[in-house]
Amino acid sequence: MATETPGRDESWYGAGEEVDRIRGAAFKWACLGATLFGISMVFVLLLYVAVDAIRPFSADAGWYLAVGLAAVVPTVALLAYYVRRDREAGWVGATATALPAFCLLVGSGVAILVIEVFPPHEWFAVVPALGAVVAVWAVHQRVRPDPVEFERFGVVALAALVAFVGVPGAVPSLEAALQSALLWLNWPTMMLYSFAGPIALATGILIARRHESRRAGAVATTLTFAAGVVSILLAPAVGVDDYLLVVVALSVAVPTALYAESVLRSGENVSGLALPVVAYVGIAVAAVVVETYGFTGPAAWLDWEFLTEPHSRFPQRAGIYPALVGSIMMMLVIVVSAFPVGVAAALYLEEYAPDNGATGRVVSIIEMNIGNLAGVPSVVYGLLGLALFIRYADMNTGSVVVGGLTVGLLILPIVIISAQEAIRAVPDSMRQASYGMGATRWQTVRNVVLPEAIPGILTGTILAFGRAIGETAPLLMIGAAAVVFNAPGAFTEQFSAMPRQIFAWSSEPSAEFRHGVLAAGVVTLLVVLLSMNAAAILIRNRYQRR
Amino acid sequence: MSDASADDRRAEREDRDRPAFAGQNRVRSVKERAIEWLLFGCAALSVVVTLAIIATLLFDAIDFFTRVSPVAFFTGTNWSPKIDQTYGVLPLLTNTLAVTALSALVAVPVGTASAAYLSEYASDRVRSILKPALEVLAGIPTVVYGFFALVYLTPALRAVGLPVSTFNLLSASIMVGVMIIPMVSSLSEDAMSAVPDSLRQGAYGLGATKFEVTTGVVIPAAVSGIFSSFILALSRAIGETMIVVVAGGMSPKLIPSLFESSQPMTAAMVQLASSDLAGDGAAYQALFAIGLTLFVITFSMNVVSNVVAARYREEYR
Repeated sequence: MATETPGRDESWYGAGEEVDRIRGAAFKWACLGATLFGISMVFVLLLYVAVDAIRPFSADAGWYLAVGLAAVVPTVALLAYYVRRDREAGWVGATATALPAFCLLVGSGVAILVIEVFPPHEWFAVVPALGAVVAVWAVHQRVRPDPVEFERFGVVALAALVAFVGVPGAVPSLEAALQSALLWLNWPTMMLYSFAGPIALATGILIARRHESRRAGAVATTLTFAAGVVSILLAPAVGVDDYLLVVVALSVAVPTALYAESVLRSGENVSGLALPVVAYVGIAVAAVVVETYGFTGPAAWLDWEFLTEPHSRFPQRAGIYPALVGSIMMMLVIVVSAFPVGVAAALYLEEYAPDNGATGRVVSIIEMNIGNLAGVPSVVYGLLGLALFIRYADMNTGSVVVGGLTVGLLILPIVIISAQEAIRAVPDSMRQASYGMGATRWQTVRNVVLPEAIPGILTGTILAFGRAIGETAPLLMIGAAAVVFNAPGAFTEQFSAMPRQIFAWSSEPSAEFRHGVLAAGVVTLLVVLLSMNAAAILIRNRYQRR
Repeated sequence: MSDASADDRRAEREDRDRPAFAGQNRVRSVKERAIEWLLFGCAALSVVVTLAIIATLLFDAIDFFTRVSPVAFFTGTNWSPKIDQTYGVLPLLTNTLAVTALSALVAVPVGTASAAYLSEYASDRVRSILKPALEVLAGIPTVVYGFFALVYLTPALRAVGLPVSTFNLLSASIMVGVMIIPMVSSLSEDAMSAVPDSLRQGAYGLGATKFEVTTGVVIPAAVSGIFSSFILALSRAIGETMIVVVAGGMSPKLIPSLFESSQPMTAAMVQLASSDLAGDGAAYQALFAIGLTLFVITFSMNVVSNVVAARYREEYR
C-alpha cells in the first residue's frame, strides 16, 4: 500500500495514535516557572531589603491597630470599590494621591538646591535678571512684530549679556548688581518674591487660559501668593525654616490644586478625588492617635535622621544626606547636557537625515554607532571621563560636573534611541499638512513634530535618567569621593552620589551596616528611582488617552 | 561607473529639485541650513564619543605596552600590580570568563523559556503584568544587585550547605545572570513575535501541537534573533562591574574556584582606580590596557550580534 512507508510517517506531526498532552503541559508550566523565577527572586530580595530598612516588627501592636484602622483599611476598601465598579475614577484617584507625594519629593529636591547651591539671595537675583530678559523679548515682539531675521535673537542675546555677564571688570551684570543691592531683604521675603511670585504668575496665566477669563486668573494668582504668605506665617509652628517651607508647600499645593481643579471642571470621575482625601486624612488621624496614646512606631533605619545626616562611623548616626545632594546636583548636570544634545541628535536622524547619497552613508554609520555605544560597558565610559575631563581638560577629580558629564555621555545613546522612537510615532500626515501650509522644515519640527513628540520623549528620557542615577562604576573611575561629610556647595567640588555611598557602606563588615544602614540606603535609591519611573508612566498614560 | 556614485548623483538631483520651502528669503534659508548643521553636529557627537573612547584607551595602553610587553601582559599568569608589579591579565580573563559562563547558565535557559512563554503562551492580560515586572528587573541599579548577592544570597547559599566564603564567584555570577535575564527575554521575545502567524497556522494545519509549533517552528525561525540576544547579554555580563566588585572579591586566581573570592577584569579596574594613582605610573596605564581589552571584546561581540541578527535572519514576506 502507498500509505505504508514507515520511514516517512514519523516526519509528520501527530503521526502517533495519540497526542502527548503531558509533554506540552510540562513545557508550558516550565516556561511560566522560568518567567517567574527571576521576577519572584528579585521581589523576595526587595521585600528583605524593605524589612531590614524599616524593621516593621519593632512597632507596637497599638501602632499597627491605629494605622491599620485609620489609614490602611479605609483606603484599601475604597481602592477595592474602584477596581470593581469604576476603574476610570480609580485612575484619577491614584493620580491625585500620588501627585502630592511625588511633588513633595521634587519640592524637597528644589529646597535642597536652595540650601546647598543657590542661597536665597543668589536665587533672588537670578529670577529678576531672567525676568528682565523675558520682558525685553516680550516688548520687542510687540514693538516689532515682523523683525528682520536674527534681529530678535540678537536683541535677546544682548539683554541676556547685560543681565548675566556685564562687562567683566568694568560694569557689573544686572544679576550681580541685584545680588549686592538687595542684601537688606530677609530670606523669606526673597523666596516669597522670587519663588512664590513667578509660580503665582504662571498659575494665573494657566488658569486664565483654561477658563478664558482674566478674573479667574487673577484670583488664582492671589490665592497662590497668599498660600506662600500663609506657609511663611505657619513655619514656626511646623518647625521648618520659613524660606524652605515656601518652596516645599507651593511645590506640593500648586500642582495638586491644578489637577483637582481640572478634574472638577471636566466633571468626570470626580468621585476619584475621594481617594486622596481618605488616604491623607487617615494618615493624619493615625498620627494623632499614635501621638496621644504614645504608641511606638517601627524603629526604622530609614528615618528623618538618615536622610539629613552625613556618614558616620557609628551606624546609628550614619546618614546619606551629602550623597543625596550630590546625586541631585549630578542629575541637574545630566539634564542640562545630555537631554538637549540627545533630542537634537534624534531630530536630525529622524527629520533631516537623507536616506541615500554620501550623507546617507554617514547617517547609517552614525545610527549603527549609536547602537554599539549603548553596549559599551559603563566602566569604559568612566575611563573616558577620567582621561578626557580630568587629565586633558584638567577639571577637579571627582567633581559634580565631571560626574554629570561622564554619566551624561553614558546615557546619551539611550536618550537618542528613545527620542527617535517618540519622534517616529508622530504621524507623517501632520508633517505633510505643515509643509503644505508653506512651513519650512525647522518650523515644522518646532511647531508640529516637537509638541506632538514631547510626552514620548519625556517618558523615554526619564527612564534613561533613572538608569543614570544608579550608575556607580563610572563614578568610581572618575574618583567620586567614598565619604563626604559636607554636601558639595558648587558644581566644581568633589562629591559623592547615592550609589557611590552605598558601595562605600558595602565594605563595612558589621551587621548593623550590612542589614541596617546599607539597606536604608538601597531603599532610598530605589524610592527615588521608582518615583521617576512612576512619573514616566503617568506622563505616558495621560497622553495616550487623548 | 559604480552604482554608489550613480546613487549619489541621483540624490543630488533630487536635492536640487526639492522645493525651496524657505521661499525667496535667503536669510531664512541660511538659518535653516545653520539649524540643520547644528543638529547634525549633535548626531555626529556619538561618533566623536566612540573615537574619543578608542583614542584615550589606545593612548595610555600604548604607553603601557612600551613598559610591559604585550606578550607578558596577555600571557602572564600573575596579576599583582601593587606588590610584585606584575601585570599578567590571564587570571582576570579566566575569572571574567567564569562569571560570564555561570551567568549564561542562569540567563540563557531562563530568558529563552520566558521569551517563549510571553510570546506563545501568555494571554494579553498576563503579558501586561509580566512584561513590566521584567522591566523592573532591568531597571534595578547594579550596585543594588551586588548588595543582594553579598548580604542575602551568599548567606542563603551557606545555609543550603555550600562552603562559600564571604566574597565568592558563585553568588556574584548568579546575580549577574538574574540581571541579564530581561535582556535575553525581551530581545528573544521580539524575535519570536516577529515570526509570521502563517507559519504557525501552517504547522497547526499539519496536526502539530502547541509544543511542537513552539519548539519546532517558532524557535528555529527566530533563532538568529535569539542568538543575537545571547551575545548581547553575554557582552553585558562581561562588562558588568558593580556586582562582581561588591560580591565577588578582590583576589584573581588563574583557575577560579566557585566558592572563593575572585576578580574579573572590571573589578580589577575598580581596584586600580580606587588606589592612589600617579598620573603616569604603570598601574594607572594598566587601567587603560584592561579597559582596551574589555572594550575590544564587548564591542566586537556587539558587532557580531548585529551581524548574526542581520545575516541569518529568515526573511518572510
